[in-house]
Amino acid sequence: MSAAAPLGFGTVDSPRWPALIPIVLIAIPIVLKLAGVPIANAWIIFALLFGLMLTGMPISISLGLTVLTFLFFMTKVPIESVALKLFTGIEKFEIMAIPFFILAGNFLTHGGVAKRMINFASAMVGHWHGGLGLAGVMACALFAAVSGSSPATVVAIGSIILPAMVKQGFPARFGAGVITTSGALGILIPPSIVMVMYAVATNTSVGALFIAGIVPGLALAMCLGLTTWWRARKNNYPRQPVASWGERWRTFRESIWGLLLIIVVIGGIYTGIFTPTEAAAMSAVYAFFVAIFVYKDMPLSKVPKVLLDSANMSAMLLYIITNAVMFSYLMTSEQIPQELAAWMLEMGLGPIAFLLFVNIVLLLAGNVMEPSSIVLIMAPILFPVAMKLGIDPVHFGIIMVVNMEVGMCHPPVGLNLYVASGITKMGITELTIAVWPWLLTMLVFLVVVTYWPPLSIWLPRTLGMMGPG
Amino acid sequence: MKFLDHLEEWLISFLMGAATLLIFVAVVHRYLAGFAIPGLQDALLKIDLTWSQELCIYLFVWMAKFGAAYGVRTGIHVGVDVMINRLPPDTRKLYVLFGLLAGATFTAIVGTLGATFVWDIAHTSSVSPDLELPKWIVYLCIPVGSYLMCFRFLQVAWSFAHTGELPKHDVAHVEGIEDVIPYDIVPDLHPAAVKGGKP
Repeated sequence: MSAAAPLGFGTVDSPRWPALIPIVLIAIPIVLKLAGVPIANAWIIFALLFGLMLTGMPISISLGLTVLTFLFFMTKVPIESVALKLFTGIEKFEIMAIPFFILAGNFLTHGGVAKRMINFASAMVGHWHGGLGLAGVMACALFAAVSGSSPATVVAIGSIILPAMVKQGFPARFGAGVITTSGALGILIPPSIVMVMYAVATNTSVGALFIAGIVPGLALAMCLGLTTWWRARKNNYPRQPVASWGERWRTFRESIWGLLLIIVVIGGIYTGIFTPTEAAAMSAVYAFFVAIFVYKDMPLSKVPKVLLDSANMSAMLLYIITNAVMFSYLMTSEQIPQELAAWMLEMGLGPIAFLLFVNIVLLLAGNVMEPSSIVLIMAPILFPVAMKLGIDPVHFGIIMVVNMEVGMCHPPVGLNLYVASGITKMGITELTIAVWPWLLTMLVFLVVVTYWPPLSIWLPRTLGMMGPG
Repeated sequence: MKFLDHLEEWLISFLMGAATLLIFVAVVHRYLAGFAIPGLQDALLKIDLTWSQELCIYLFVWMAKFGAAYGVRTGIHVGVDVMINRLPPDTRKLYVLFGLLAGATFTAIVGTLGATFVWDIAHTSSVSPDLELPKWIVYLCIPVGSYLMCFRFLQVAWSFAHTGELPKHDVAHVEGIEDVIPYDIVPDLHPAAVKGGKP
């Protein structure tokens, strides 16, 4: 099987006309403006942004170029004044939680950690219907929360558990569906980098978001588990023998070191011992300690490589943030979110219709971009409207995060799907069919999260992390 | 050239590790100083670490600027490549080149703006609030980092124009697990190479 085939990369016979779309999108606003046609600035900005993005350049660069082009051609504002934002955009201590969380996750993103989580999950739930599949959901939820990376979760848990499942007689599709979707749980269960991004873009409390993610995170894991259980029972898939309590205790003790990372972060923030950024730094040191001295999965000589990889990933995200801050500054100074809010109210759109609109837009965006970029671009636009309509900021954040999870599990950019395709040697199309029962579960769950706010905000409110509504 | 590569890698790894240690020490210090241990408490209270947050921010801003340049070399920057990955290879090649050159242009503009900015504040006596470092030193990373990034874009564009290959970023490498993802599977977050007329 050629690797290119399932992805549908263009060949010499592919149509050439789509290449004109970006050119038209970029040219129209400039030509219209120069010709003196009155046209709303919002349209110009978005046409430029979409045009530049479609050319495939890095998202950070297209955001920055949109701002520069707009200022240069359309306004008399000196570029220097906005460019100042480029320098000061990321000077916030809250943002620095992102590199720390990435570092912590990278220390524990290791096959050894994955094995311990699988053993623990398997001892706890393996004897129910669904057996290893159910254990896979639980192991993914645990590992994803600790490692912070969805694709890495799919690789780590998937490469160990999928061959075992196939050997036991599960169809390959079943296993692939379970792992691809469960791997996405990580961005809902704290600590979550996407939540920090949302918090930064909207000035929401990171702590409240993390606490708010717990209940929906567990609920979604439960829903995916139920889907697995129900389908396994119907088809009578193999189950594991019941594990003894001694076995459960042993596997629990092995995996607890990794899981304590979540406790350090949540406990530290909730009790007020740490700020979120400090909690992130402490979790990075803790993860280093566990990986090197407790689990001994990683030799000390690997540490520089982990530092370099983490720095690489963090710098990429920080670079998008820098440019997104500049872009959202442009949006605000052009009053675009306010205009959108006014237009929505004028149309008589209430919170229900607005949230439907938000979900559709985000699901569409999930087709072409990865979660961090979507949150950084969309949150500053949608958030002010949501506030006008009286939607809770924390609840709105959780809606966005659940949306991002759905996007990671379907083509064309669902990273989890690509990674799963690499492990299972299944084509993308076949995998897309394999994941649909779980994807459907996620979509139903998304509707519940959207229209039933207590699911998200009950816990932080009860714990006093948010003001009374 | 090798030297520059290593310097870049060494610098960003160091900044990452230093920032982590710094915040760790600051937090431990804050709590240890709260315990009434004779001798130790007095010694700890004398050390003032209030500047740690500010230094952490600067370390990470420097890491972000140089790391972004390193990221161009490793191909980690994500984009929207759904459309161009479906174009015929020769047309795609034009777009990938356009994207890389746009990156070079943008970073060159930012680098120049940054250089002017640094030049201006170097003539003022502006210092950072806690560390009292001259601001121009703090912001020096903007022109230097941006020009380096511009250079990396040109480097990648040059080699792409000649070989049709792009830096390959491994999306999901996990230590302790064999690489299972063939390198030529890239989701549409990165442009596909056009080597030999087919991807």
